[in-house]
Amino acid sequence: MSLIQTAGQVFDAVQKAKAGATAYCTNFFPVETKLKSWIDHGEMDMELHDGAAFFFRKNRDFLHFYFCAADAMTLQREITTLSRMKTERIVTDLVGNEAALNGLLPALEPAGFRRYARLQRMARIGQPESITADQQIGFAEAADSQALLGLLEKSFDHFGEQIPMLYEIESAVENRQILVARRDRALAGLLFFETQGLASAVRFWTVAEPFRSLKIGSALMHCYLKAHAAVRRFTLWVNAGNENAIQKYRHYGYAPDGLLDHVLANEMIHP
Amino acid sequence: MKSVLEILKEIRPEFDFAASSDFIADGMLDSFDMVTLVAALDKNYGISIPGTDILPENFQNLQTIEALLRKTGAKL
Repeated sequence: MSLIQTAGQVFDAVQKAKAGATAYCTNFFPVETKLKSWIDHGEMDMELHDGAAFFFRKNRDFLHFYFCAADAMTLQREITTLSRMKTERIVTDLVGNEAALNGLLPALEPAGFRRYARLQRMARIGQPESITADQQIGFAEAADSQALLGLLEKSFDHFGEQIPMLYEIESAVENRQILVARRDRALAGLLFFETQGLASAVRFWTVAEPFRSLKIGSALMHCYLKAHAAVRRFTLWVNAGNENAIQKYRHYGYAPDGLLDHVLANEMIHP
Repeated sequence: MKSVLEILKEIRPEFDFAASSDFIADGMLDSFDMVTLVAALDKNYGISIPGTDILPENFQNLQTIEALLRKTGAKL
């Protein structure tokens, strides 16, 4: 294993795994700015194998695992040689449609990976007909960062839902990517989004327990949509088993677009 | 045979690809869409785009996609 110092090392390793590949397979689609940030924070290391490159990102008390391999056979052969699979808590994702996922799952199972959660992507096109804004919604401030992290950790599963680190929250606050609702100065809810050109994704949307059923979630969503009048495509990922959340998203015009994310965890997480 | 623009329209009908010079920066294609697009281009043109060429810069706009197709042996 070697600690990654530059994004160039990652891209070189990916290209090596791709070279001569007959049925290249990967779950690694790094966004360069995020990758650089992870590297700068000393979170990324990699292992190069014959026909495969493996990347690990340290995330709290576990590792997130990414692979690039010439084909599924190579992946299956090389992944079983990774000693950390037996000693560390590791999570990985397979994104695609059901058929594509079923093709790769057998290559990961010999390393001890089992299904942990299933997320589905939902999308909506364009704006709703009418949106009302709430005066009490605004952008988060730097001083909110720790409270935002606390609310995210209380509301979401850290193995399955890629909760950001404190520095990522601070950066998102600075970039005005987090809307918050306050009630009596307390953080009542948040909506964390990422916008790129004509597309925007909700990463997290939650209301703190004491403030539920007060239409705070609805106010956050209305404010988010209103602030993105130029966006054509809105997406988000939701736990496929969370019917309550799916119904809420449907209410705002989101519908499943067929893309699934199978979150897998190794035996150190669920033996 | 469909044109690249028609294939893009099928994948993301909500966007006007003809009006953009940078599909990635404009948020019109993400990494998952690129995988879908490669499969559709392979099928439509009877080619196999190599994994080493599946890079964002090759899917930036119509011209870069067409250049990639020509390099891979597609007849446009």
